[in-house]
Amino acid sequence: MIKNYFKIALRNLWKDKTFTGLNILGLTVAFTVAILLSIYALFELSYDRFHKNVDSIYHIYASEQTPDGPGVSTAKPIPFADALQREVPGVEKITKYMGGNVLITHGNKELRMEAAYVDPDFFSIFSFPVIKGNKQHLIEDQSSIVITEKTAKILFGEENALGRTVNILQQGQQRPYTISSILEDIPAQSTMRFNLALNFKNQSDFVYADNIGNWEKSNHSVYLKLSEGVVPTQFEKATRDFTALHYKDDIKDFKRDGIQPDKNGQYIQQRLLGYKDIHFATEKNGNADTSRLYPFLILGIAFLVLFIASANFINMSIAKSAGRLREIGMRKTLGASKAQLFFQFWGESVLIYFMSALIGIVLANLLLGQFQTIFRTSAAFGNVISPSIVIAFFIGVMVITLISGGYPSLLMTKLSTIQSLKGKLEVTGKNRLRDGLLILQFGITILLISGTLVLWDQLEYMRNKDVGFNKEQVIAFPLNGKREDAQAIQLMRNELADTPGIVNITASNNILGLGKDGTSSTSAMGFDYKGRGVKTNILIVDHDYTETLDLEIIKGRSFSRDFKSDSLGLIINQAMADQLQEKDPLQTQIILFDSINYSVLGVVKDFNFQGFDKSIEPLTLFLNPKWNMRNVYVKVSGNNPLQSMSRIEQAWAKIEPNAEFLGSFLDENIDRTLTRERLMTTMIGSGSILAVILSCVGLFAMSLLVVTQRRKEIGIRKVVGASVSTITLLLTKEFLKLVLIAFLIATPIAWWFTSQWLQGYVYRIDLSVLTFLLAGGIVLVIAIATISTKTIGAATQNPVKSLRTE
Amino acid sequence: MLLELKNIFKWVNSGGNRVFLLKDINLQVEEGAFISIMGLSGSGKSTMLNVLGMLDTFDEGEYLFNEQPVHQLKEKHRSRLFKENMGFVFQAYHLIDELTVYENIETPLLYKKIKSSERKALVSDMLDRFNIVGKKDLFPAQLSGGQQQLVGVARALVSKPKLLLADEPTGNLNSKQGEEIMELFKQLNQEGVTIVQVTHSEKNAAYGSQIIELLDGRVISR
Repeated sequence: MIKNYFKIALRNLWKDKTFTGLNILGLTVAFTVAILLSIYALFELSYDRFHKNVDSIYHIYASEQTPDGPGVSTAKPIPFADALQREVPGVEKITKYMGGNVLITHGNKELRMEAAYVDPDFFSIFSFPVIKGNKQHLIEDQSSIVITEKTAKILFGEENALGRTVNILQQGQQRPYTISSILEDIPAQSTMRFNLALNFKNQSDFVYADNIGNWEKSNHSVYLKLSEGVVPTQFEKATRDFTALHYKDDIKDFKRDGIQPDKNGQYIQQRLLGYKDIHFATEKNGNADTSRLYPFLILGIAFLVLFIASANFINMSIAKSAGRLREIGMRKTLGASKAQLFFQFWGESVLIYFMSALIGIVLANLLLGQFQTIFRTSAAFGNVISPSIVIAFFIGVMVITLISGGYPSLLMTKLSTIQSLKGKLEVTGKNRLRDGLLILQFGITILLISGTLVLWDQLEYMRNKDVGFNKEQVIAFPLNGKREDAQAIQLMRNELADTPGIVNITASNNILGLGKDGTSSTSAMGFDYKGRGVKTNILIVDHDYTETLDLEIIKGRSFSRDFKSDSLGLIINQAMADQLQEKDPLQTQIILFDSINYSVLGVVKDFNFQGFDKSIEPLTLFLNPKWNMRNVYVKVSGNNPLQSMSRIEQAWAKIEPNAEFLGSFLDENIDRTLTRERLMTTMIGSGSILAVILSCVGLFAMSLLVVTQRRKEIGIRKVVGASVSTITLLLTKEFLKLVLIAFLIATPIAWWFTSQWLQGYVYRIDLSVLTFLLAGGIVLVIAIATISTKTIGAATQNPVKSLRTE
Repeated sequence: MLLELKNIFKWVNSGGNRVFLLKDINLQVEEGAFISIMGLSGSGKSTMLNVLGMLDTFDEGEYLFNEQPVHQLKEKHRSRLFKENMGFVFQAYHLIDELTVYENIETPLLYKKIKSSERKALVSDMLDRFNIVGKKDLFPAQLSGGQQQLVGVARALVSKPKLLLADEPTGNLNSKQGEEIMELFKQLNQEGVTIVQVTHSEKNAAYGSQIIELLDGRVISR
């Protein structure tokens, strides 16, 4: 029996090649895309889940009240971790954590690597399994180092790395470390990434040794594992006495400045962020806000794409079923029961679906590489697949076929034998289901297209926004070599002194945007000014900073080599000037670092020194060319900037032969900060293109069927004198009505979603009706084009032909 | 007595008027009978045949098959009764286009859940009997009308029904092919198969042992 079903299913599919082809094509494309998107979303959702204790690991941060409302601070002072574990019950294990870039040397190899400075407990809190060497007591002694397998390969190739010694440049000296353990490579879904781990005590003195017992200076993160049964919110409450004790000076200042405490009367509240949420957390009103919207949105798109393809399948199956009524009737008279018939027809859809799903899996595998490049992800089948996911996928496909194949089958088998033998389908409800599905399809399409358009607009807006500095003509690169920074900069200046196309060279300790090395950092400080607490971001710069970046000085002057005293001068931005509340900011004297008197030399126009979706915070520029500068900025002239880029690269190669040149124009750096937006635009954009194509495949099939079904009617209308245009209009109108209804339903939803999304941006576009009309217009034009290929053909046909068949 | 219809009425409501399709039909079919039903188009011949074949329902009256009241049976039992006792032959053959001759004949056995070896034997018997062994792997579209109807008859008989119902079995055939089919019916009847056929042609009707004439849903002569 099964064999018979299978045979007739295959023969039937083969007979109707157009429809089978359209169905398999649509479903395969939909499956391919849905599988890729799902892998991506599942990958995102599985972030950090590989830690066995993930449910009881927390990142401890503080919500601090400031004049501008609550803010988040994650940095902790050196004594914090130990004191917390001692004084507040419920901490099972705790570790300090500080990431950093170190220069590691072994023989003549010299490499920049990511280091994690941690306490020994780190390895019993997190699951980074040891594959070779000492499995317990990692980095307990201060001369040992732990590296990952990949790092071992880079440093030693196939040789045994265990027990070998490597040197790390710390505080200007090469310090030797013995490799005591080798870790499994860090999974792709890890938020924490490092090549090597060292005991926290090995940190530079200005981070660790100088600050033992010092609660004033915060410089690292703290992670902890709660004891079993401890509720995070209870724990947070329990830290209040601890905070009041250790932060009493800060709290006193807050009170003096008239800052409002939070609703529990706290100025500083320690909070826990579950480690499983860390990948999805953003700051919001002094709290960590967890949102998995993005991966679920992607899953949603995957689902919508499958839905559209399935709707096509349902519509085509129902429309085609008319042609198989005789077969059904015949089978009934031969003794088939309803259940047997149902399984036969359902089986056909199972066949189509599983065929498409299989091809989809193969295609997804083939396209995975490109997908990973475009969407900058390391998501792959390997790192998300699990028995439960495979079973869920299988059940999912079965459920979809049950709905999309089962419904038409049910319709067919419900008819009485006589009715089906006559081969006439009783038309009830006038295709309401078909219309409903088409409306839904086009609604989704319009929703996705308008989403893409809005996203695109916003992205372009942010890219082209005036950020307040020259982003087109400035190249920045990190100082990643061995030489001392000031020396390297001076050499660079000498090297490029008379090079044509190079206008200015400067340096600062922070990058603008996101550098090619993928790092960015901020420094901030607070001080008392005229009895008030003032907070400012700080930037240490070299000479020519404002000139190189074309910052506009609106009051006073910039730093100058002509004045030796400028090392005690400050340049502030407008936001800072507003905060100081001085009539003439140039008269301001600020006492910092206990007793040093700084004076404001100039006020610079606000520029986006931080993220490009943040409002501009107060900023103070210090001149200190001998400081630990991290980045060099070179302004080049407008003609042939690429040639200038290669000249800079050559110069850098001469000064630091072993260091990689990671230069990029600042507008590229800005683009890099917009990765998330761009990814989202690409995802939703490709989703909407697919939605358009699939919906049109469905529409094409429906118009094909309607035209064949109404052949006779068209013939009669022509005989009685209808013109080609009235018939085309008659046939097209029916479908256009559906697109219009879809537009009316989808637009308000799209409007609501996009305006909600835009709320997250400080600098945002205004939504315009035109965008939505454009989305509707695009769909309408494509729909008309699709339908008319068939309708015009039908309308121009000789009526004698269509009437003769009757 | 194989089956008996007692005072069967069937109607449809059309604009408030009751239009009768069958009016007070009484019929007795003995085992081994060969009955021809005649009448003009729309006289209710096919409806009566469908009622006999349990493909259609009626509104009033009684239908006894093998002494069992069909109108009181549950759908499940009725369909079993049908599967085991009846074979249908249609004017338009109604073969399944996607199945070969062999598979078409096999289909009723599949629905009766007969074992594969037995199925093979039964189908081979039929193919032999109707001289269509050479055509067993062809599809219906590759056969002439007469051959298709031959397959149709073979399919109706393969499950060894007691009653063969034929709705204008020669209607789509030329006279020579029609004659062959009627000869076949006569032979089958002599072998003991009970046949009820609907026909337009006097000549074909004469093959039967009894002729019933319908007009406007009423029996006017028998």
